[in-house]
Amino acid sequence: MTSMGDLHTTGPTAPPAHAKMVRIPGGTFLQGSPERTLDWLEAEGQAFPRDWFTDETPQRPVTLRDYLIDRYPVTVAEFADFVARTGYVTSAERAGGSMVYSDYWEIREGACWHRPAGYGSGVRNRGEHPVVHISYPDAEAYATWAGKRLPTESEWERAATGRAYRLWPWGDTWDPTRANTAEWTGGSLRGLDEWRQWWSRIHNAQGPVPQTTPVGAFSPHGDSPDGCADMTGNVYEWTSTTAHLYAPETRCDPTIHLVMGRFRAIRGGSWMNFRYQVRCAERLYGDPTGWSNFALGFRCADDPPESGAEHHGR
Amino acid sequence: MVTVLLSAGWAHRGQKTFACHEGTVRDVIREFVESYPHYRRRLLDDDGEPLTYYNVYLDGDLVKATDRSRVAAPADSTVAIVPPLAGG
Repeated sequence: MTSMGDLHTTGPTAPPAHAKMVRIPGGTFLQGSPERTLDWLEAEGQAFPRDWFTDETPQRPVTLRDYLIDRYPVTVAEFADFVARTGYVTSAERAGGSMVYSDYWEIREGACWHRPAGYGSGVRNRGEHPVVHISYPDAEAYATWAGKRLPTESEWERAATGRAYRLWPWGDTWDPTRANTAEWTGGSLRGLDEWRQWWSRIHNAQGPVPQTTPVGAFSPHGDSPDGCADMTGNVYEWTSTTAHLYAPETRCDPTIHLVMGRFRAIRGGSWMNFRYQVRCAERLYGDPTGWSNFALGFRCADDPPESGAEHHGR
Repeated sequence: MVTVLLSAGWAHRGQKTFACHEGTVRDVIREFVESYPHYRRRLLDDDGEPLTYYNVYLDGDLVKATDRSRVAAPADSTVAIVPPLAGG
């Protein structure tokens, strides 16, 4: 038995490589958001201006071959098995800490995948929660060990939205009971001030403990048309795609332009977010040089056994 | 003057650009925080030194954390401060 923090792993626990994967049939889908979604975002009175979201446009057809993608994000137990077998040390462990949110983002000493809130915290009874504090190199290392790879951004979005565009994996009507977001944990939060009050109550009671839920906790009602769970909320998820604009003429927030070609695309939003940040087409970008935080995880993808092609979209 | 640029995710009351005097990138950030203390918690550590987890770009070029005390931001340049989780 291997002890990792307060989590114990016993013997071989890794499932067959593709046992928990979904096969997404090849074809063409529309990646990105139509202008009507940006119109709706403006009309909603949410916190951000239109050019915060224009990186989702223009919506354009993308063709993918068949591929496999994990039904769930990688869990604490699965990551513990990887560490137990390989001795892998994450970026956060090497750095001595990772980012958590108190009254703002801060580096918490000791925070890592098995101490998600820093020293004194642990992952007891969280084996089925998605692993967090995962950097891009950590995610790649796990995927390689598992004989898989990270999904491209196109693969991730197709797995979330299905063949047809939709705002969330289940459709175009928001339902806070279908996903782990701040609107599920905190109820009806109207704006950032109420979000801060919600988080302050949790933080004061628990410290910066990630409000993740076991993977699949919202299945099947929150699943995508192809059966992928937790594509909305729970944890942010790395993709292998380098940040890029869908069209060179697109103009968005100037700081978003600066991360193009530098950061990697992150998808799905997390337990920290409102409905707007957890849409299927929503794009975020993460520094891939070793940064992580307490809401950041990943899932893996792979090619079908009979496939030898490299055509994953961007 | 030097323009300090923030993302919409950080903008307080919608203001994303701010004017500061020329100096090293570190000095520009410190002056910015002195002028706009609302951002102190995000940008400086307990000792008043700029935090290193965010990325800083001078006219579009990344300035490593170790170089911020050495690299000068000249007049009419732009210092952009970008958190490690961008967009959204």
